[in-house]
Parts: sequence; C-alpha cells; structure tokens
Amino acid sequence: MKSKQYSVKVFETTIEDEQKFMEFFDINYALFKDHLILIQGEISDDIKEYLNKKPLTFLQNRTLPVGRSRKAIEEELRVERVESSVNQQIAEAKIEHLSSKLQNNLTVLDDIIRSGRDIYIDGDLLLLNRVNSGATIHTTGNLIITQVVEGALRCDGNFMMMTASPKANIIFHGVEVDNTLLEDKLNRVELKNGEILITPVIKKEINWAL
Amino acid sequence: MGIVIAVISGKGGVGKTTATANLGLGIAMNEKSCIVVDFDIGQRNLDMILGLENRVVYDLVQVMDGDVKLKQAVIRSKVNENLYFLAASQSKDKTVLESSKVEKLVAELRESYDYVILDSPAGIESGFEHTIEFADAAIVVVNPEVSSIRDADRAIGILDSKSQKVKNGEDVAKYLVINRISAEMIQSGEMLKSDDILEILNIKLVGKVPEDRGVIDASNRGKPVILDKKSQAGQAYSRIAGRLCGQKVEMKDIEISDTGLFKKLTGMFR
Repeated sequence: MKSKQYSVKVFETTIEDEQKFMEFFDINYALFKDHLILIQGEISDDIKEYLNKKPLTFLQNRTLPVGRSRKAIEEELRVERVESSVNQQIAEAKIEHLSSKLQNNLTVLDDIIRSGRDIYIDGDLLLLNRVNSGATIHTTGNLIITQVVEGALRCDGNFMMMTASPKANIIFHGVEVDNTLLEDKLNRVELKNGEILITPVIKKEINWAL
Repeated sequence: MGIVIAVISGKGGVGKTTATANLGLGIAMNEKSCIVVDFDIGQRNLDMILGLENRVVYDLVQVMDGDVKLKQAVIRSKVNENLYFLAASQSKDKTVLESSKVEKLVAELRESYDYVILDSPAGIESGFEHTIEFADAAIVVVNPEVSSIRDADRAIGILDSKSQKVKNGEDVAKYLVINRISAEMIQSGEMLKSDDILEILNIKLVGKVPEDRGVIDASNRGKPVILDKKSQAGQAYSRIAGRLCGQKVEMKDIEISDTGLFKKLTGMFR
C-alpha cells in the first residue's frame, strides 16, 4: 500500500445565489484554487460545470473530521505517555514479585557435597548431586535437590524440593522438618499460612512383589 | 616418570598402612619398581609391617632437610628386590613438613621409581595435606561402617580442594579399597554394602578386602599378608595390585560367603 498524508484547507459554503457564488470565486480564485470547496446543499449543473472549468476541487454534502489545535494534540499524547509508563511500572512490579517468589540468582551445582563442606548461597540453589553426611547447605532462597541428602539443610526460601532423605537434618524457616514426612521421590516443602506444607511431586514407585 | 599414589582414609585404624605395605609389595611382585614412603611422621609403623624395622638408618625428614641423600635413606627390601622403602621420622612431628621440600622429594622419587606410594597419616591435618598435595592419584581405604565413610568423604573433599593437580585444573584419580569386609555381617544387614558406600563416596572401586585373622599376625611378624597365597585378604591385595598395574582382573564378590549353598540362598532372598 502506498499512502501519503497531507493537510488541505477546506472552504465550506452553501449556495444561495448562483450568480453571486460564481462572482465570488472569480474574484477570489487565486485565494481558493488550492482549497477544497465543500458545498452543503444542492448544486445545479451550471455550478458544477463552472467549478470543473475553473478548475476547483469540490465535495458535496460531506462531514469532514474537524482538526484539533496543536496544543490539544500534545496534551493527549502526554496523557497517553503517563498512562503507559504507569502500566509498565505495574507490569514490572508484577514480574519482580513473581521472580522474587521463583528465582533470585539461581546457582546450579553438580558437585557431590562431601562431608565438611559448608555452602552458603544467597539466592536459589539447584543441586544435581547428593549431600553427604557432615555437609551443610544454607540458602536464603529456594532449594531444589534431585539426589538424596544425608547432611544438613537450612532453607529460608519460599519452597524446597527434595527426595525422601531419612538421614537429613532439615530446617525450613527455623523449623525442623520431620523427614519421615518426606516419603516420595520428589517432595515439595513450603510455608503456607504459617504452617509447613509437604506435598508429593513425584510419587514413590511401588515395586509389586511377584 | 612414575606415578605418585597417596593412600588416605581420614579415619585411623582402617588398615591404611597395611594396605600400603601389601599394595607396595604386590606392585613390586608385578615387576615394577615401587617405593613406599611413610608420611606418618612421629608415628611410623610401615617399617614394622614390612619387616624392615631394624634396617632404618635415615628417615624422610633428614632427606628433605638435605642432611642425607635420598639413596642413602632408601632401603631395598629383601623380600622383593623391586620394593623400596623410605621411613618416617619417629622423633619429629608432622609440623616439620614444608610444601616446597615435599614437592622436591616427591619429584625426585617420581624420577627414580615406577610407583611411589605415600602412606598418609590419619586425620586431615597438615601431615595429610602434604601427603596428598603432589600426588597424582589417591587410594582411599575405608571400612564398611559409617564413621569411616564420613571421614573418608571429608578426606576426599580436602583432596579435591588442596591437591596441586586440581589447582592446575586436572583431576586427581581416586580409587576405593573397602577393607575388612565380613560377608556374614553384610548378609545379616549389620554392615554397609559396597554399593551403598560407592553411592556415597562416588569414586571408582579398585578392590574389596575381606576381614582376615591372618592380617594381624602377618603385620606382627613383618611379613605382609600378600605373601600368604592361601589368605583371602592376601589374594584380594594381589588382585588390587594387578589392577593398579593396569591388568584386567575380575572383581571377586567377597560379599557372598561361599561356605555353603544354604547361606547363598538366604542371601538371595534377603
């Protein structure tokens, strides 16, 4: 699509006396030759012929959009800008709120955490290996461990995900978690209304006796 | 250029020195020149177990201080001419070790022998750190019990952070020897299974040694148990020494006692 945009001056009028109308345009032709002539009411063939002959561009019985002042346009743009910046701030705040719940500076570790190691992580931790007896892990954020834990965990995040770990010592938000309750392959531990809630994520596989 | 292997355990009394003596002799029996070095300064035992107690004249500390030459201090075994021994000092303590001196000694030993086996002191103090610092590999000796496993785990952790090889961005090879396994106790569930130990420590298994009454007597007499062809523990050490020399030796499952079909069956259904 090819398009152009330009402003045209419009001269709007009605015809009461055809003779006077033609005289007016004869005299002021120089002034109106670049105008769009908008005529409200009926036009006789004589007038049409006259206008085409001049030539003058004309329209009949139309309502054209009324232009606005520059000031009015600027005011409208300003309001729009303020609104969009407010919307953006709201969106950003929402994302920030979500990310503080889900992820703050995620650390990923794939070491086997051996006895004697004391790891402090300011943020979230994803640990893909086991935590041996005598090791301690402390996170201020969320903690996800995919292997068995025999050491100590201190988590102050929104949630913890871990496998059944009967030998682990787990303290979540200063409260010791009874690890007999962690009985599934992957458990989710979270704080809801001041209570520790443990929900299974992946159920323990049941080996049926043959 | 030889390979330097530190024998570590973390916990004391698991059979580190016995393993060092037997593996050293086993490697020598495989026609490789091997020197065993006692790094347990202040508490030397390896000379007694190797039966070389009365031949010690100079020790490792004197070599490191430059008082005597390495060749003067090294003792050649009469049991096997490929086996050499360097004693620890009995009068000094672990604090005499210095990193630069240890590095120099280890480099000198590496040049002269195919296998250099360092018997580390128990614990994780400076003596232990100096033993592992310049080693290429480590043999971790454990007993199938929780305290030994945890201490070994800690020792491996230190090995992984303090070793010169790790600092250079390489890996230190770690081999596990499970010592004093009692098949009966494993089957009755009183002793940790090797699979559980391997899962916790996550290093390569190089061999399992069964509990054997002959070991203590052999140590007392200064004749490592590997010389006794009938001994179960001796055979196990022979297999491990073969593996350390690059031979393919099948793992023998010593966790199933072969004292009767009935016991085997009960083991199966457990």
